[in-house]
Amino acid sequence: MNKLLEKKNPAKHIKSFGFLALLLLLPVIFTAVDFTYGITISCFVAIYVIAVSGIDIVFGYCGQISMGHAAFYAVGAYGSALLSSKLNIPIIISMFIAPVIAAILGALLAYPASKLVFHFLSLATIAFGEITYQLILQSPGGITGNAVGLATKKVNLFGFAFNTSFRFYYLALAFVLLLLAAKTNLVSSRVGRAFVAIRENTHAAEGMGVNARKYKVIAFATSAFFTAVAGSMYAHFVGYISPDTFTNKQSVLFITMLLFGGTASKPGPIIGAIAVLLLNEALRSMENMQMLVYGFLLLIVILLLPGGIFGMIKDLFYKYTHRGGKENAKS
Amino acid sequence: MLKVNNVTLSFGGLVANNDISMEVPAGKIIGLIGPNGAGKTTFFNIVSGVYKPDKGTIVFNGTEIQGKRPYQINKLGIARTYQVINLFKKMTVIDNVVVGMHSRLNQGYFSALFKTKKAREEEKMAYEKALELLDFVGLKNRAYQLADSLSYGEQRILEICRGLASNPQLLLLDEPAAGMNATEKVELDQLMQKILKKDIGILIIEHDMKLMMGVADYLYVLNYGKLLAHGVTADIQANPEVIAAYLGGDE
Repeated sequence: MNKLLEKKNPAKHIKSFGFLALLLLLPVIFTAVDFTYGITISCFVAIYVIAVSGIDIVFGYCGQISMGHAAFYAVGAYGSALLSSKLNIPIIISMFIAPVIAAILGALLAYPASKLVFHFLSLATIAFGEITYQLILQSPGGITGNAVGLATKKVNLFGFAFNTSFRFYYLALAFVLLLLAAKTNLVSSRVGRAFVAIRENTHAAEGMGVNARKYKVIAFATSAFFTAVAGSMYAHFVGYISPDTFTNKQSVLFITMLLFGGTASKPGPIIGAIAVLLLNEALRSMENMQMLVYGFLLLIVILLLPGGIFGMIKDLFYKYTHRGGKENAKS
Repeated sequence: MLKVNNVTLSFGGLVANNDISMEVPAGKIIGLIGPNGAGKTTFFNIVSGVYKPDKGTIVFNGTEIQGKRPYQINKLGIARTYQVINLFKKMTVIDNVVVGMHSRLNQGYFSALFKTKKAREEEKMAYEKALELLDFVGLKNRAYQLADSLSYGEQRILEICRGLASNPQLLLLDEPAAGMNATEKVELDQLMQKILKKDIGILIIEHDMKLMMGVADYLYVLNYGKLLAHGVTADIQANPEVIAAYLGGDE
C-alpha cells in the first residue's frame, strides 16, 4: 500500500528486532517460570498461524470462501507422514512435497469451482472436506491406518532431532517467519492486488485486465499450500495423526480464528489463533461445549466486530490519531 | 482504430442490439446517445467483452475481438468505466490505479513471492506512474485515501484514471457525468480534452446533451437497439427522427 512512505523507519526496525528477540527467548522464559506447557501451546499457535494465514489469502484477500480447508490440513499431515515412512523421503523434504500436492489439489478444485458464487462455493468446499475425511477414514488398502491413525516420526535435521516442544518451537518459528514473509510479499504485489480487486469487484477486475479465474486458482492453491504446511508440522510435532483431527470442525475452527482475529491482514490470523487457542485451553474441561463457543464467537464477530479484533484495534487507533480534526490525506 | 460491423445480440426474444455498425478513430470523441433502454450499455458490454455478439465483427487495430474475455480486450488497449460506479472501494485510490495497470506489469507469481529486485523496481515504477496519472486527473492529494471516501464526482474521475492506467488507445466512458455538479462537469470536459491530446480515442455514452453537443466530434443515436442516425452534432440536433425518439413525438 503506502510502503513507499514507510521505508527506512529506524524505530520500526528496533521494534521488530525486539519482537523477534522476545519470540526467540519465549521457550527459555517459559522454562524459567516452570511452565513448559506454554511452549507446547506456542507450537500449536505457530501451526495455526500458518494454516489461518493461508485461509486469509483465499478468503480475506481474494474473497473466496473455503469451508473445507481441513482437507488440505489432512493432505499435508498424511502426505508428509506417508511420504516419509513409506518412501523414506527425509521429513524436511516430505514436509515440502505434501504441501505442493495440496496446492495442486487446491488448483484442481478451484478451477471448476471458480465459477461458483459465495454460498455455492462454501457448499462445494464442505463437500471436498467431507470427501477427504471419508478417504482417510476408509482409505484404499488402509494406507492411512483408517480410524486407528498413524504414528509419525519427528523431524531430524542433520542428526539434530526436533523431538521436544522446546526444540520444535524453533523449527515452527522459522516456518512462521518464512511463510508470513512470503504472504506479505505476495499480498503487496501485482498478484495480491489482483486478489483484492477480485474480492472488491470481480466484474471491474476483469475489465481492468485481471484474469479472475486464473487468480482465484492461484489464491486457492497458495492457501492450500500454507494450510498443508501447517498440517505436516502438526503431524511431525504431535507424533500421531488420526481422522478426528481433520473433520469439518477443524475447518470451522480455522475460519473462526480468521474472522475473530481479522481478515486481510498479517496480525489478524496471529491474534485469532492465539485468542481462540487460549480460549480452547480455558474450556478444556468441557470439550463438548467447544462448538457452542465457536458458534458464539462467530456470532459476536459477525454482528459486532466485522473487522475482528485487529480491525477493532485499527479503528480505535485511527480514532485516537484523528481526534477532532477531519481526516487528512497522507501526502 | 475500432470498427464495429453489423453487431447483433439478443437476450431470449429481445433484440438488445440490432445490426449496429460504427467507427471510432484515434484522437476523437465519439458520442453514443439514445433514450433509456436503447441498448447503449449493452453495446459497451459487447465491445469490452462482457457479452459475446450473436452476429457481426468488432475489429480493433486489425484484430477481431468479439468473443474475447474482458481482461484480454483490456490488454489489447481498450479500457472502460461503468455506468454504476465499480471501484475497488476498500482499496486506496492509488491502488485502484495500479490495479488498472495490471496488464502492463510483468511480475509473475514467484517474483512476487520472493520480491525480486526486478519486481521491486517495477512496483516502484508503477506507483510513481500512478501518482503522475492521479496528478493528471487532479486526484493526487487523495492518493492514500480509500476509494469509497471520495465524493461521487471524484469517484467517477477515479474510474477514468483507473482506465487510463492500462495505457489504452480507446477509452469507453459510460455516463461519466451522471451525478456530477456543474463545476465537475466543466472539469470532466477539460479532462477529456487533455486525454484526446494523448491521441486516445473516446467513445462516450451520456445523457447530458449540453455536455455531449459540446465535446463530441460525431454522434451515433440508438433507439430500440437499432442505429437510428449518425452524423456530426449539428445534423443530429436537426434530425426529426432523433427529436421524435427523444420527445416521443408522433410519426
